[in-house]
Amino acid sequence: MHYLTDPFQYVFMQRALIAAVIIGLLCAALGTFVVLRRMAVVGHALTHSALPGLVVAYLVGSSLFGGALIATIVTALGIGFLARDESVYEDTLVGMIPNIMFAFGILLISTTKSFRDLFSMLFGNILGVTDADLHLILLIAGISLVALFLFYKELKLFSVDPGYAKTIGMPVKSMHYGILLFLSFTVVVGIQAVGTVLTNALLVIPVAAARMLTDRLGRMMLLSCVFAVLSAVGGIYLSYYFGSSSGASIVMFAALIFALAWVYKFIQKKIA
Amino acid sequence: MKFPYCQHRHSLPDPKAPALEIQGLDVSYSSGDKLALKGFDLSVSAGSALALVGPNGAGKSTLFKAICGLLPIRGGNIRVFGHSLGACHHRVVYLPQRSEIDWHFPISVLDLVVMGRYVYLGWFNKPQKKDIEIASQALQEMNVLDLADRQISQLSGGQQQRVLIARALAQNADLLLLDEPLNAVDVTTRETIGEVLRKIKAQGKTVLVATHYYDQEEGRYDKAIYLKDGKKIDGTNHIDDPHKGCDCTE
Repeated sequence: MHYLTDPFQYVFMQRALIAAVIIGLLCAALGTFVVLRRMAVVGHALTHSALPGLVVAYLVGSSLFGGALIATIVTALGIGFLARDESVYEDTLVGMIPNIMFAFGILLISTTKSFRDLFSMLFGNILGVTDADLHLILLIAGISLVALFLFYKELKLFSVDPGYAKTIGMPVKSMHYGILLFLSFTVVVGIQAVGTVLTNALLVIPVAAARMLTDRLGRMMLLSCVFAVLSAVGGIYLSYYFGSSSGASIVMFAALIFALAWVYKFIQKKIA
Repeated sequence: MKFPYCQHRHSLPDPKAPALEIQGLDVSYSSGDKLALKGFDLSVSAGSALALVGPNGAGKSTLFKAICGLLPIRGGNIRVFGHSLGACHHRVVYLPQRSEIDWHFPISVLDLVVMGRYVYLGWFNKPQKKDIEIASQALQEMNVLDLADRQISQLSGGQQQRVLIARALAQNADLLLLDEPLNAVDVTTRETIGEVLRKIKAQGKTVLVATHYYDQEEGRYDKAIYLKDGKKIDGTNHIDDPHKGCDCTE
């Protein structure tokens, strides 16, 4: 039992646990709509777009959160804006702009001649969460989860039949931008836990596992949250006891849950 | 407290105005594209049933999408119950072609049909018992109440169509725009839909149906409008040969 409680005698581990639970909840709840609306590739794109914002913020000594948030929001809204007239397909923009942003981030890092913080930017460091970080994570997650709760009904309709949503007067364009905005918030929060490279995994893998076990939206969202929190907490233990990268450990834990869900589904199909 | 989706107030219908009045309507899918409807005129009196007949690409779906605000109007004017578009969202319902729905989305049949009540609920309000009852009643009318708890991905094509019509009924609109409701459905579904169309008309509602099957359903409609290449064409040419200008091969 002490193996479970020992890590949390340290304040940094307590902070990491709280951050992991909140980030897991947020990623899974929004990730459900990201996966169902087939926006996983957009989430992937936004995570990569955060890098130049992080590096610029690091270079000028301001908030890394702020830098990442500005970069992802600019990218999300930029993709939405450029895709409006359909002269370039949205998926082309999604494949193009974030790679340019990522390359720009790497370019900026290479000019600093210091790669000290590159690793935590790319792969996260949840054990290094400060009190200020935790407050910001709580604020962003709180706003995002409340918005998700308030607009749950509309998000459902917008996802299953956007045409009908428009015919009854829903502002579907604004809702699309709204999802991109909250996805940016979630990505920035997720980066703290698993970094720019792996955040999309936390958005997608727990939801994909839940999708295999249920065909109801509410249950799917609940299961995704449970899986994401389990992954985040499990990853922290792995990282603490084996000294592994916290971000990679969290994602590998999520992958293990996905594998178990897949095996369960496979056996269920064979029995049926 | 109500927070409607649209900033326009829901207006009462003008009793003297036709259900639908269209003058010189031009519609294209994006600016610069070829017009999918050109100078289209139409007047439909309240309580009538009208068939829109024409081959694929004639402009039937385009017309419906323009009427319910899914496509921008490049020219001309549309008035619904005497009001400009958007003034009475709850009075117009559009039954899309089935391919426009994400049938793999993880919700039940009842959830989908309750969505027909959202226009009355607006932002923040959750469906109430009354909304569930109306949705269940609509499912009953379409003879699919037993499917209420089923996941929508588990429906056959005919069941999907009945469920979508149930959602349209749940909205309790006065003008129904039904896009190919009888396309690729079984005989039982076709009969059920036919019966419901008769009931809707008997209630004084206005129905426009885009169809490939006008020759088989002629008795259900007060009038047929023939479309080809985005324009109305002379219907009298088709009385003797209902297949002319119409792709009836399903």
